[in-house]
Amino acid sequence: MLNIEKADDLLGISLNNILSYRKMDKDFIGLVNNWNKKIIIEIEKFYPVEVVFDGNEIKFKIDKLDKKVDLKVKMSLKSLLEIAYGRLHPINAVLKGKVKIKGNFRIGTVLKFLKIFVNSMKMVASQPNQNYYELNKETR
Amino acid sequence: MTSIKERKIYDKISMEEVRIRLEEIFGANNVSNKQVDLYPYSYDMTECTKQMPDFVVIPENKKQLVELVKFCNNHVIPIVPYISGNNVGGLTIPERGGIIVDFGKKMNKIIYVDDNMMYALLEPGVTFGQLEKYLENHFPHLRYSYPFAPPYAGVVGNVILSGMNNMSCKLGSMGDSINGIEVITADGEIARIGSCFYGKDEADVKSWWSRYPMPDLMGLFINWQGMSGLVTKCAVQLWPKPNFKKVYLAATFGLTDVASILREAGRTDVVDDISAVSVEVVKMSVEVPEPTKYPGEPDFAALLVISAKTKKQFEAKKEIVEETVDYLNENGKNIILADVDEFSKLFNLRVRCYLDLPAALLSLVEYSGLTWFGSYAPSHKLEELIEKVDKIFHKHNIPAFIYMKSMKSSHYSIFRPIMRYRKFKGGEEERYHSCLEEITDTCISLGCIPYKTPIWMTAKLREKINPGWLKLFEKIKNCMDPNNIFNPGRWNT
Repeated sequence: MLNIEKADDLLGISLNNILSYRKMDKDFIGLVNNWNKKIIIEIEKFYPVEVVFDGNEIKFKIDKLDKKVDLKVKMSLKSLLEIAYGRLHPINAVLKGKVKIKGNFRIGTVLKFLKIFVNSMKMVASQPNQNYYELNKETR
Repeated sequence: MTSIKERKIYDKISMEEVRIRLEEIFGANNVSNKQVDLYPYSYDMTECTKQMPDFVVIPENKKQLVELVKFCNNHVIPIVPYISGNNVGGLTIPERGGIIVDFGKKMNKIIYVDDNMMYALLEPGVTFGQLEKYLENHFPHLRYSYPFAPPYAGVVGNVILSGMNNMSCKLGSMGDSINGIEVITADGEIARIGSCFYGKDEADVKSWWSRYPMPDLMGLFINWQGMSGLVTKCAVQLWPKPNFKKVYLAATFGLTDVASILREAGRTDVVDDISAVSVEVVKMSVEVPEPTKYPGEPDFAALLVISAKTKKQFEAKKEIVEETVDYLNENGKNIILADVDEFSKLFNLRVRCYLDLPAALLSLVEYSGLTWFGSYAPSHKLEELIEKVDKIFHKHNIPAFIYMKSMKSSHYSIFRPIMRYRKFKGGEEERYHSCLEEITDTCISLGCIPYKTPIWMTAKLREKINPGWLKLFEKIKNCMDPNNIFNPGRWNT
C-alpha cells in the first residue's frame, strides 16, 4: 500500500490528486515502491516542489529543497496541460524546449519519470467525470 | 443566548388573541408560537444578535397575507418575511419580535415561464435549485443566472436585495433584472408594479414582460429588506442558453494584479462573469481547513466565463480574452490563463463547486459561523481595498478570504471579504467580529457600499450618508409604513 502525503500548497495538492489516482494500481505501485529518488518539478511563475520517493511513501517539499536531486523538470502550465491532454508529446516537448530537464540525471530516471508522472496525468485527464462525488473515494 | 427584548406589542392585544386571529387566517396547522418552532428563526450563520419571534405563520396565498397585514397594522405587530434564512446579514432575525412569515414552505410555486418574452413569474419561496431544475426539464434552451449560493436559497430574496449572479459582468445587479412585482402595502392594498400594472383584477401571467417606462415604483421595495411591504410575486428575466461556453482560470501573481484583469476583461464586453477569490479560498474548497498562502503561489484565482451562440462568435470572444491577458502581461502584470475544465481535473475536481452553480460551497458552509462585508465597490479602488483588507486579515490571524466580481462591463465591482468561524467556540465570534468591523470601517472609508446589511453596519453607514438622503429615506419609510410593522429595526428604523 502506497502512502501519498497530503499537501496544502497548490502544486502539492495537484500532485497528490494525480498520483493518488493510481495508488491502487499494481503497475504504478511497482514503479514507485522503493524508487528512492528525489525529483524537483517547477511550473513557471509558480515555485519548485520536490517530490520525494522514499520506500512506499511519496512526500512533497516546498521549502528547504535538497541541493542534490536526481532530476529537475521545468515547464509552463500551458505545456503541462498540453501534454496531459495529448496535444503535445512529452519527447517533442523536451526537444522543443517546452519542457526543460536539468541536473546530472540518468536516462532511466527520465523514462521512469515519464511513466510515473506523465502517464498518471494523462489517465486523470482522460477521465470523463467532472463531478468529484462520482470519483472513486478510495483513491481521490 | 437568544435574547427576548422587552416588547410592548402585547399591551393592547394579548398574545392569545393574536394566536386565535392568526389561526383564523392561516389555519391552526400553519401557526406556531412554540419555542421549538420559533428558535430556528431567531438566528442565522452570522454573529448578529439572536432574537426570538413571537409567532411563525406559513402562508398559502396573498388573501391570507392581506388579512395579516391589516391585522398587524391595526395592532402594531411586526412582520418579518422569511424564505430560507440563508442571507449573511441577520436580515430575517426579528429585531423587535412579532410574526415571521415563512414563504419558503408553501408559497413556492413557479407560476409561469414565458418562453417568448423570457421571464419567470415566481412566488417568493422559489429556490435557485427549484428554478434550475424546472428550466432544465421544461425550457432547456433558457437559463437563469445563479449566485454563489446553495440551491436551497431563495431567488426572489436575492433579486430584491440586489444580489449578484454568474452573469453579473453582463447584467450587473440582480435588482436590474426584475420585470415586475406584486406587493402588499401597510394598509393591506395590493399593488402591481411593472408592465403587469394594467387591470383591476389579477394580472394576466403574460403581462409581466417589462419594468419600464412608468415611474419606477419598484425602488420603493428593492433593497428595503422587507421594510416597505410584502412581496408576493416577482417576475425575473431569463436568457437564452448559449451553444458554446468556456471558463478560463486566470491565476494572478502579485497581490493586486487581479484588479486589472477584473477591470480590463470586464470592459471587453464579451465576458458573462468574472469572479475572483484569494488563493486561500481555492484551498478551502479542497478541504485545507486553515489555509495559508505560500511564497510563489498566485495571490488570486479569477474565473472568466464566456459564452456564444455560434462557433465564430465563440472564437472571437476567446481571442479577445486571451489578447487582453497578453496585453496585461506585456504591461507588467503576472497572469497565467488556463482552461478551467482541464485544470480542475488535474488539480482537484472539488473546485468545480464554483462553476456549477447554485452549489453548497464547502468553503462557506464548512463551519457553523459565516459573516462578511459584502459591498458594491468602486473598481478603481480595488488595489487599495485588497492591500488594506489583506493586512487586516493577517493582523487578526484569520485566513484572507476576499471575493470579488466585475459588474456590468466593469462599471462597478463587488468586493466581499468573507469569514467563516466556529460559532460555538468561546471568543471566536468576538474575534471575527472585531476583524470584520475593522474591514467595514476601511472599506466604507474607501467608498464601498454594503448590501444585505446587518443593523450594526447600517448604523455605521448612517454616520457617513448625507443628511438629505437620510431624511428622504425616513420620510418614505414613514409614509409607506407609518406604524413601522415591516421588519422594524432594519436600517435602524
